[in-house]
Amino acid sequence: MLMERLILVAMWLFGFVGFILFIPRKNRRKGLFAFMMFQSIIWLCDMPAFKYGLLSAPIREFPKATDLALTINYFFYPALFSIFYVHKKVKDGLWSRFAYFFVWVSIITLCDIVIERYTDLLEYGLLTWYGMWIYIGFLFFVSRVCCNWFFKDNTLFHGKQT
Amino acid sequence: MKIEWWILLSAFTVTTGILFFIQKNKIRLALVAFLFKQVITFLMGAVVVEFGLIEYPVRLFASINRTSFTYEYYVLPVICAAFNVWYPTNKSTLIQLSYYVGYSSVLTIIEVIIEEYTALIKYIHWEWYITWITVCFVFFISHLFCIWFFAKEKGRA
Repeated sequence: MLMERLILVAMWLFGFVGFILFIPRKNRRKGLFAFMMFQSIIWLCDMPAFKYGLLSAPIREFPKATDLALTINYFFYPALFSIFYVHKKVKDGLWSRFAYFFVWVSIITLCDIVIERYTDLLEYGLLTWYGMWIYIGFLFFVSRVCCNWFFKDNTLFHGKQT
Repeated sequence: MKIEWWILLSAFTVTTGILFFIQKNKIRLALVAFLFKQVITFLMGAVVVEFGLIEYPVRLFASINRTSFTYEYYVLPVICAAFNVWYPTNKSTLIQLSYYVGYSSVLTIIEVIIEEYTALIKYIHWEWYITWITVCFVFFISHLFCIWFFAKEKGRA
């Protein structure tokens, strides 16, 4: 129980520090938007995933209110995605872009598997390790497409006032 | 089908209808307001249920979630998007204030009626004016966020 709590605190800490360190000031908006986009999508996808027993979170922050893993869904993975999104290179070739995506998704899946195996923060039900890779890859890909759409026309984006 | 499910269904339909009225050149503004609102409702929705302030007896994804997914994920964010899209920026302070009061009051009145007559929401340690104040405050924050988000950065054209 103590270890799980410490990991959750570490996730918040690393998320914050990572966001501040790895997202340059001029990309704050981009980073924040990517963060919110990913959060929205993982929230939507995790609802059915938890409902149909793909995975579960035995130890969680708000056990009475929700069965979802709040720190991971709400903060940690969105923060990682925003770092991923801000640092991706648009001009690189298809292969290096794919490698970038592949490495990020693989590392996060690896973390996820380690957390699943050694703590009670996550518990896979029907999901396997490659299922998790596909799931995280899917979340990253969909969020990336949505963010790319949002930022595709930079003049449009900055030329508008509320 | 029970009245609660009809209400949920019509809430989804009506809010989706609102989306069609948003002008095409303001889709990005609407999306930012929508997502920002979700960031707040995701957390606050969990907190109010966790501490037993509000209950949602009839809800979506009932087996894994005791918060109101419909309201927090979709209805309130869409209304927040509408709020920001049609905000009377260049009008007098009085009009802007009544814009806030109007949105918050309509939402609160609907919620109170639903609370009174259906099992969709149940106040435990909650009052209608807390709804009013929080809704109004979150609209205000979301508006500030949208202004900041779309402001031209200093030193750059």
